[in-house]
Amino acid sequence: MSPDQSGMPAAPLDGNAAAGLLREVFVFDATSATVTCGGCGATAHVGSARLYGGSMGAVLRCAGCDTAVLRVVRTPMGLWLDMQGARSLKIGREATA
Amino acid sequence: MPETDTTPAEERRLLWRTVEVRQVIEETARARSLLLSVPGWPSHRPGQHLDVRLTAEDGYQAQRSYSIASAPEAPLLAITVERIDDGEVSPYLAGEVRVGDRFEVRGPIGGYFVWTAALGGPLFLIAGGSGIAPLMAMLRHRAAAGSHAPALLVYSSRTFADIIYREELNRLAAASDGPRVVHTLTRQQPAGWTGATRRIDRDMLAETGIAASARPRIFVCGPTSLVEQTTPSLLALGHAASLIKTERFGPTGGLR
Repeated sequence: MSPDQSGMPAAPLDGNAAAGLLREVFVFDATSATVTCGGCGATAHVGSARLYGGSMGAVLRCAGCDTAVLRVVRTPMGLWLDMQGARSLKIGREATA
Repeated sequence: MPETDTTPAEERRLLWRTVEVRQVIEETARARSLLLSVPGWPSHRPGQHLDVRLTAEDGYQAQRSYSIASAPEAPLLAITVERIDDGEVSPYLAGEVRVGDRFEVRGPIGGYFVWTAALGGPLFLIAGGSGIAPLMAMLRHRAAAGSHAPALLVYSSRTFADIIYREELNRLAAASDGPRVVHTLTRQQPAGWTGATRRIDRDMLAETGIAASARPRIFVCGPTSLVEQTTPSLLALGHAASLIKTERFGPTGGLR
C-alpha cells in the first residue's frame, strides 16, 4: 500500500526520505542534523530515524525507543511542526554545507 | 574536515525549476533513465535526491522523490524510474514521457545518505533492484573524480535482464582501479551463471564484503526487506552503526 492511499505505510522508511518535506520547514538539511531523543536520550542523525508518513505529513520516531521526536503535518493553514519528543537538535556544519 | 558554507542562495530556498527531458534510456523492461537538462541546477552530491512535480491541465499536482543517478560531473541530470502500477508520477515518467517534455523538479535534497570522493573509502555499497540509483551516482562520481578509494558493490536483482546499468557496471569494474561488482540473481539465472543465487545475507556479506577492520563507509539502498536483513548482518560482522547508512524505499519512494 502506498503512503498516499493509507496515510501510513506498513513499514517505516528512513528519515532521509523526509528531506524534501523538512526543507520546507528548515533552511538547512535537517536529515544531516543530529537529534537527541527526549524519551531515551539517544542521539542519532535525523536521516536515520524511523519515518512514518504520507502526503499529510511525517512522523520521525527514535529507532531505539520509538518516541516521536519530530512531527510535521501539512494542513490547509500551513505546516505544523511538533518537536515535543526531542530534547535537542544539533545542526552541524555538514547540515548547512 | 572543515566545511565552509558555499550553498548558493537558490539551493537554500529549494526552488522548483522546469527541466527538459533530453534522452530516455531503456535500462531494463521495467526501468528507464531520464536525462534532464536543468538550467541553474546547483551541483549535487552523490546520494542526494530530487522531487519531481507534475501539474495537470486542471492544476492538480502530484509529487514524488527520486534519487539522482548521475555524477555531479555529468552534463545532464539522470534519474532512473521503475515502472510500478501504483503512484501518480511513475506511470508518466516510466511510460508516456518523451524527449522534449518538460516538468518541474526541486533539489538537490538530503545530505545524510551522501558520499563524495573527498570522504575517502573504502566504499561498500549494497543495492537491491532500483535501489542501485543513488549508489550508481557514487560509483560514477568515483570514476569521474579519479578516486582510488577501494569500492565494492553487492547488487541483488531478480533476473539477469533486471540488472540496471549492467553494461556500465561491467565497464566500471573492468577499468583499472575500478570497483569490484558482485551480482546475485534471486529469481532466475541464465544458463551457466556461476554467481550467487540467493538474497543478500550475512554469509554473502562475510564472503564477499569488505572486512569491518577496514572501516568501510557502507550505503545500503533497496526495499525495506533488504535493508532490514542487511543491517543486522553488517552489525554482527562488526561494522560500526555510525558507518552504515540506509535508504529504504517504499512502494512510491520518498515523501512529499
